[in-house]
Amino acid sequence: MKAIEVNHLKRIYRAQIGVLRRSIKEVVAVEDVSFEVEKGELFGLLGPNGAGKTTTVKMLTTLLIPTGGSASVMGYDVVKNAKDVQRRIGFIFGGERGLYWRLSGLDNLRYFASLYQVDPEVSKKRIPYLLDLVGLLDRGSEKVGGYSRGMKQRLHVARTLLHDPEVLFLDEPTIGLDPVGAREFRQVIRNLQSENKTILLTTHYMFEADALCQRIAVIDQGRIVALDTPANLKRFVSDLSVIEIEMYGVALTALDQIRALPFVAAVTVENRDQKQSLLVQSPRGAEAVPDIMTRLSGQRVGKVIVREPTLEDAYVRLVGGDHHA
Amino acid sequence: MPKRSFRYTWRAIWMAAEMTFKHTMNDGFVIFTILIQPLIISLLGLWMLGAKGSQYIMFVVVGSGLTGLWSGLLFISGNSINVERWSGTLETLVGVPTSLPVIVFGKNLANVIQSLISMIVAYFLAGLLFGYTLSIAQPVLFFISLVLTIVAFISFGLIIAPIFVMNPAVQQWQNAMEFPVYILAGFMFPVALLPNWTTPLSYLLPPYWAARALHGTASANAPLEQTLAAWGLMLLDSAICLLIARFLFRKMLVKARADATLDME
Repeated sequence: MKAIEVNHLKRIYRAQIGVLRRSIKEVVAVEDVSFEVEKGELFGLLGPNGAGKTTTVKMLTTLLIPTGGSASVMGYDVVKNAKDVQRRIGFIFGGERGLYWRLSGLDNLRYFASLYQVDPEVSKKRIPYLLDLVGLLDRGSEKVGGYSRGMKQRLHVARTLLHDPEVLFLDEPTIGLDPVGAREFRQVIRNLQSENKTILLTTHYMFEADALCQRIAVIDQGRIVALDTPANLKRFVSDLSVIEIEMYGVALTALDQIRALPFVAAVTVENRDQKQSLLVQSPRGAEAVPDIMTRLSGQRVGKVIVREPTLEDAYVRLVGGDHHA
Repeated sequence: MPKRSFRYTWRAIWMAAEMTFKHTMNDGFVIFTILIQPLIISLLGLWMLGAKGSQYIMFVVVGSGLTGLWSGLLFISGNSINVERWSGTLETLVGVPTSLPVIVFGKNLANVIQSLISMIVAYFLAGLLFGYTLSIAQPVLFFISLVLTIVAFISFGLIIAPIFVMNPAVQQWQNAMEFPVYILAGFMFPVALLPNWTTPLSYLLPPYWAARALHGTASANAPLEQTLAAWGLMLLDSAICLLIARFLFRKMLVKARADATLDME
């Protein structure tokens, strides 16, 4: 038995639009998603905003009913056996919501321990252990409203481990955390994996997925476009080099001209404070630089680096260069 | 296994009640609803009926306490699921093995018990401000009536919350629903003063039977048969409410999971 089995999962959102002439607008969030996760595996789900990651996780955690297809967690169907699934899973959705801010961290855990039906004797020992695990033992009696974002995220981890679940769903758990907080959080995830927990992680951060996940599914427009180990996904772009150009304002016409070059596989722009990084994937490597620079003539250009592709570059190629990673 | 399940259910109810109590006791809106507003109502009642004797005063004390119970139920328990939804905790609650009606039962228990503060305040107000020495006519029967009242109000609250979630248009009438129940349930004056056609409406409301039992045992020596009948009908109304609530919660959760409205971020 697999820890998670997903077969042709589909989810359509329907919204009513218009006042006088009402009509139903349908948005396909998940078109057709299938994958399996082994017990004890740390599995990543990557994709741009709106790709269907969170919708998939919400269906697997019983919070959304699929429009089509089926899914099971530890052998239990997520629709028909929702309560059996809930006993075996823990979930975290990125952000600060989902906790009681007027209660202390300790009271939040006491409350959720009772709702997860943890034996009172067990929870008496487990709550201090978990507070210690996430570094909140000294702050447990303080109200959650006074916690930093990182502390709230760590409290979410403690909450989700109260009933010692077999499967964890972590939906962008490091979003909004400072670098130190995010690094500590990744260590917590590694520790959980070493306890043989099955983990499904969604993230925007490629290096995070690369460092943590054993296998990664790339999802785009509601479909899985690639599923493999991080090393094999990187091989997908092993024939390419990445030209990274530091810029101060990029003209859209120049971008279109670069995209039109026959030796350019993908183009993306990343905003970094006052400047941008133009990332061009090409099999010609350094040889492509002069042609690209010609298209950028008249614009303010900083450093130019040619480097080996990363998982992020593989991701960009898979989901298309139009998405700003 | 059923015994274990029963134990977990009761623990979840008590914990939900404890946490709701802690969560709401420093909430200004809650304090106004269960304390300030009933205080104003009891002051008005005491001034109007003060000259008529202690029997009427006890009626005012119990009646203004009941207004606090109903207002707390309507505004705090009625909004309990929506508040969870807007603060992002509803998804977490729906994703736990304990069923949502059990959790909301615990939350309503806390709300109803803390709303009883309004009755205690009215009692002391009558004593301290107006100098009345008040006594409960049938203390044991009054206490039993009070326990059954808590059950009746909790059960009634379990209907209101899912209705408000599924029908935002109904919730817009929330303010308008406050005073009609004060009147139809006979909190501040007997329903016999109302037109006959309103009587069946009163009978459908668990707060009516609660008011009848509490008034009858607190301020008058109501015959035991009358009190027993009020208890029986209060329990019957409560049982009907619980059955309706079970259906509404199931419908609400299926709808929310289908429409993706568990979270309103």
